[in-house]
Amino acid sequence: MKLERVTAIIVKESQEIVRDRLFFSLAFLVPTVLMMLFGFGLSFDVEHIPFVLVDRDNSSLSREYSHKFISSRYFDLQGYAKNENELDSLLITNRIRAVIVIPEHFETDLLAGRPAHLQTLIDGTFPFRARTTIGYVTAINAAATMEVLATFLSQRQGIPLQDAARSLQPVRLDVRYLYNQSLKSIWSLAPKLLMVILMISPPFLTALGIVRERERGSIYNIYSSTVTRGEFVVGKLLPYVGISILNGLVLWILATRLYGTPFKGSMLFFLFALTLYVVCTAGIGLVVSVFVHTQTAAMIATVIITVIPAVLYSGVLIPIASLTRGSQVIAHLLPAMYFTNIVLGCFLKGVGFEALRNDILILAGYACSLFTAGYLFFNKRPSE
Amino acid sequence: MVTSQKLQRQSNPWWRRFYAMTVKEVLQLFRDYVLLFFIAYAFTADVYWAGSGVTLELVHSALAIHDSDHSASSRQLISEFHSPYFKNIGEISDLREASPLLDSGKATIVIDIPPKFEESIRRSKQTGVQMQVDATNSVLGLLASTYSTQIVTTYGLRESLSANGISPSRTGTLPAIVDDHRIWFNPNQTDSWFMSISELLNVITVLAILLPAAAMVREKEKGTVEQLLVSPLSPIEIMLPKVIAMTAVILFGTALCMFLILGPVFHTPFRGSLILFFVITTLYIYTTAGIGLFAASLSKNLAQVGMLTILMLAPMLFLSGAWTPPEALPTWMRNAMYFSPMHYYIDLSFGILLKGAGWRLLWPSIWPMVSLGAAVFGFGAWRFRRQFA
Repeated sequence: MKLERVTAIIVKESQEIVRDRLFFSLAFLVPTVLMMLFGFGLSFDVEHIPFVLVDRDNSSLSREYSHKFISSRYFDLQGYAKNENELDSLLITNRIRAVIVIPEHFETDLLAGRPAHLQTLIDGTFPFRARTTIGYVTAINAAATMEVLATFLSQRQGIPLQDAARSLQPVRLDVRYLYNQSLKSIWSLAPKLLMVILMISPPFLTALGIVRERERGSIYNIYSSTVTRGEFVVGKLLPYVGISILNGLVLWILATRLYGTPFKGSMLFFLFALTLYVVCTAGIGLVVSVFVHTQTAAMIATVIITVIPAVLYSGVLIPIASLTRGSQVIAHLLPAMYFTNIVLGCFLKGVGFEALRNDILILAGYACSLFTAGYLFFNKRPSE
Repeated sequence: MVTSQKLQRQSNPWWRRFYAMTVKEVLQLFRDYVLLFFIAYAFTADVYWAGSGVTLELVHSALAIHDSDHSASSRQLISEFHSPYFKNIGEISDLREASPLLDSGKATIVIDIPPKFEESIRRSKQTGVQMQVDATNSVLGLLASTYSTQIVTTYGLRESLSANGISPSRTGTLPAIVDDHRIWFNPNQTDSWFMSISELLNVITVLAILLPAAAMVREKEKGTVEQLLVSPLSPIEIMLPKVIAMTAVILFGTALCMFLILGPVFHTPFRGSLILFFVITTLYIYTTAGIGLFAASLSKNLAQVGMLTILMLAPMLFLSGAWTPPEALPTWMRNAMYFSPMHYYIDLSFGILLKGAGWRLLWPSIWPMVSLGAAVFGFGAWRFRRQFA
């Protein structure tokens, strides 16, 4: 491998990239736009769930109870209805997500010390939203039940209401949220977005860069030159790796400055891990480029290969421990999960090389094997 | 010979050119085996991956316990933290062991039960249990604390009632508000139904924009567009066959996905009319192709059009309600959603497939999708024509 030939390839490729102004600016614009869009919008804090109330009891207690829903920021009252059967079409057309039915004799039952059965109908198309809605209803119910019970107990035992309420809750749970005290979604999200975006964009750029030469035919210049395949692969990839590292730094600035995510780890270690990861994902692009012959196929292949694993099998939305067994195996086979550990460690936990050694080693192994595969499959003697 | 010439003269030349171009597009697509492979992969394996094994629910959260009381009560409370939400990974003897466990991710929750826990409960003194939650994933951190609070509250209530001389088994005679919820359209909360359908809709959108755009720019990049320009073909005759060929391929892929993956593998119910679903999908693919044509008119090579379409696709996929529920978006984004044709398409597809709605109920979503789509397609086609002028 001769340094001057590698340099020549790097210079040629860089000039080609820089001279295509639209492409060059998009290569930086796309990651930034993705980061802003997901950062501001990707939230799972479900609020303002539109619902309809059916109050069959219409007593002072049922009104007091329904007010807990109406005044909650998690629910958004769309109106009252007489009968829940008329509400099918509202649920089907997404105008409401839930119906809450307060039964007849709600007040009488509770005052007489009998349980009252509330009915809720919930739109289950998006299971996560349905689960959250049930959670909110349960929490509101638990609080209301406590109040009713305390009143009941204070009357029965003849003790003051406050004492009754306190005696009903002998154990208090004090929750401390670690790593992300205020539980802001964006703090834990921003570092992971950096991982997702750098999983998608480098392979896309790299695969296009190599397949472009093949589709245009300019690769025959390489075939007939003294450049070896190793020199070609390295020289071709480095400019894209460079662009992606710059992108990584831009994303780092956005994460820390725009979203205010704390960065507790060492910058030097982060840069090292970032470089390794980008080399790794660019390697995916290299391997794809060996197998496809058209740029259209290269684009579709890289998007499809990278997006789903990066989003679903990397620990971004769902922690690896919560995946099913088969999916856990898949997650362990992909590089995304290891870099997620690294970015979370660097940003939120402030841990360094000792804690993340295994992840780094696995990423390095990945990068090496992808490059070897790309090198072996790349052939200077076209079969066609 | 005479008859065939006669036939040729009789048949509409516009129709003949159109037919020839469509055949050319289909052939060109079918000769790129690798591309076909990845399209097939997108409609089958990719949807399968998205639908299997992924759930946004607290499952087997690793829980470590520091018990300073070692009493019957503390053991009772600990035993309430069980699967499917929690997985007890054992007891630690020193609270200082908690931090390395949490740092390394081996535990997500550490619960600390104070000394004299049982005694305090027996004397009706309030006592506190400390809990540390790894909140790097804020959704699950919140779920973990919600479930734990529920467990501890129920436990405390039971203890307190029995201390007050009310047996916990007689709760039927106590006032309580019991929630009987019914989940519509997906009673068992099967995540794979939602995930697989929304991934299918994502794949349809990506291909509907990317394929026609790439087919157009490819002609520019290879220079074959010059041949088309000197032919008697009008811009519309160049453009329409591409869109039609791609629509056919995507529709075929959709059918493949529905009858190979969604139905047999995930047992997704198709409650509404499949004909209506395919009609809506055809309209959607056709009109969304306009975005691709617009991107194609701006770019000179495939690398440019690839980046441009991603730039346009990302907000569209994002504002569709497939990734995050609309109720979780900030208000301005929810308003922007009304301008995304995909938002209506998602509502329509879930409406037909899971909710079993007919076109009468869906009309309020159909007309905005079609008119938005028509506007987008019209704009794309206009831009596209202009570049030939």
